[in-house]
Amino acid sequence: MDPDRPARPADELAGQVYQELRRLAAAYMRRERPGQTLQATALVHEAYLRLAGAGTPWRDERHFVGIAARSMRQILVERARARGALKRWGGLDRVSLMESLVAAAGEDAMLPALDEALTRLEAIDPEQARIIELRFFGGLSIEDAAAALDISPATLKRRWSLARAWLFRELTSRLT
Amino acid sequence: MTSAQRQRVRQIFEAALERGDAERGSWVAAQASGDAVVQEEVLSLLEHHQRAGKFLAEPVVDRMPDLLAEDTTLVAGTTVGPYQIVKELGRGGMGRVYLASDTRLGRQVALKALAPHLTRDPHQRERLRREARAAAALSHPGICAVYSLEEYDDELLIASELIDGETLRAEIASNHRPSSDEIIRTARDIASALAAAHAQGIVHRDLKPENIMRTRDGRLKVLDFGLARTESGPAATGALVTEPGMLIGTPAYMSPEQLNGQPVDARADVFAYGATLYEYISGVHPFAGATPLATIARVLESDARPLGQRCPHVPIVILECVERCLRKSADERFRSAVDIVRALEHAGDGSSTATPGVWWRTHQVVIVLLYLIAATLGWQIKEWIETPTTVSLFIALGVGAAIGGVLRGHLVFTERVNRRELVREHRRSVNVLLTVDILMAAALVADATLLAAWPLTLVLTMALGVGIALAALVLEPATTRAALGDV
Repeated sequence: MDPDRPARPADELAGQVYQELRRLAAAYMRRERPGQTLQATALVHEAYLRLAGAGTPWRDERHFVGIAARSMRQILVERARARGALKRWGGLDRVSLMESLVAAAGEDAMLPALDEALTRLEAIDPEQARIIELRFFGGLSIEDAAAALDISPATLKRRWSLARAWLFRELTSRLT
Repeated sequence: MTSAQRQRVRQIFEAALERGDAERGSWVAAQASGDAVVQEEVLSLLEHHQRAGKFLAEPVVDRMPDLLAEDTTLVAGTTVGPYQIVKELGRGGMGRVYLASDTRLGRQVALKALAPHLTRDPHQRERLRREARAAAALSHPGICAVYSLEEYDDELLIASELIDGETLRAEIASNHRPSSDEIIRTARDIASALAAAHAQGIVHRDLKPENIMRTRDGRLKVLDFGLARTESGPAATGALVTEPGMLIGTPAYMSPEQLNGQPVDARADVFAYGATLYEYISGVHPFAGATPLATIARVLESDARPLGQRCPHVPIVILECVERCLRKSADERFRSAVDIVRALEHAGDGSSTATPGVWWRTHQVVIVLLYLIAATLGWQIKEWIETPTTVSLFIALGVGAAIGGVLRGHLVFTERVNRRELVREHRRSVNVLLTVDILMAAALVADATLLAAWPLTLVLTMALGVGIALAALVLEPATTRAALGDV
């Protein structure tokens, strides 16, 4: 895989999701007015309705959200890269990096690095990587994410903590 | 680590989450049952779990919807009003900048597409329109001319003069430290451009080295009047703090009142002007901190290291001007750039301060020598004619020489070592010195009247007295003005 660009979804269906989400997101941004907030879940849901309505053979919405969350990850990481995230991320010293990670601030700068760490996590434990994708990129609630992965919400919550601690260590240790 | 070990780590970590902090360590050790790799990994992950704060806690899109905004790029050939896009020149915090050609007038212009986050809010959009209109009304050789405001597919674009040159930021980064002449010229050019805007009631709000360009033929141009965000209140400051990438850019040049979310006026530009000039001269930002937050804290709380300490050769007028621009309280700064222009009127006048400084120092040394001669003469006269009068005159001359000599020595020392304080020190001692000089001159003249028997010494003493008086009243103000500026 080319390290500088996130891979496009492998199969054609995923490609459709990716295109649809991009289109919807752009439309949302154009329409957006103060007071309205854009939510990732709403976006994913709308994309599902549109694609399902178009007769795309999805097994069910749960199958769909996994692919949608992955597409969101790609779209957002691409955007962050286009906005010079790598440069800003590289420019942060250890203290400000810690500060911004803990405060969840300036998250776009961290996205490419998070994407790479997530790819490494995937190789070790794919389920953990899925959980982060569904929750952080797809915006799914604990219950919905648990349903999509066929595990109990309590298990998902604990496993999410583990994945998050692992990623946090990855991102902060890169600078020592 | 084997996959079996990984599985153990997962089980122990997840179970440990249910336990209290106190017993965790020993509990994990017991569970790991002697496998040091597993134990260490679980403890490390638990520690990071506790330190992770809000990391990944909320979906990124919910927090940063801007990230989904399509970065539309206008392709070459697109027509925007009377302009045709030629190519993209670059992009900054404000948005993308394109090179475009004006099809009606056949000239090239810069077309700036304002970033979506600046134009989405209708009020903000309306304000930008108004500001662009006001900026278009500004006509000054030091201000990048705004030609028109265009709308294209929901985007707001500003057509302006195309400037071929480099930003002041590039100049600062090049490590070339400017000479006194360059400093004075740059300080004046920026101030006069700002003053033209301030005189029209237009505040820049985001003056910084990135917004000032020098054309290839050396003229300075200030860009982007009034385009900065103006949201006030604590929310705006919060937004600044949470965007580390943004911080190094603008907030470092923001005045304390701007950072506090208070309304700003021309005096905020005056502060930014001072910070920009300071950095241009020294190459170092006046409030640079290790982290963006530290920089903000320094802008709000600490004083900048005096510029004169970093760059002793800088004309004193400039040092004083920068120092006054950077005051924390807006009331203590110049009221607007118009006042800065006035303050810089006498700066250098084309010559560097090195020569006047030498003249002023020479003057001080010569006067101290004259003091010594005067005291010696007083002693000689007392030896020749020992009366209570000559003795008192000798004592007066001796005391005067001592006081005057020490004060002038102190001033020369200040000038060499801590030039920034010279104006203040001079102000403190100027009246004492004048009094000492006049009294010594009077004492010498009085002594001379007693010297009928020694005509040559009489003439010499009289001449010395008149000389010291003239030097104090006529020469000294001139050399001081040349060295210190208008004091």
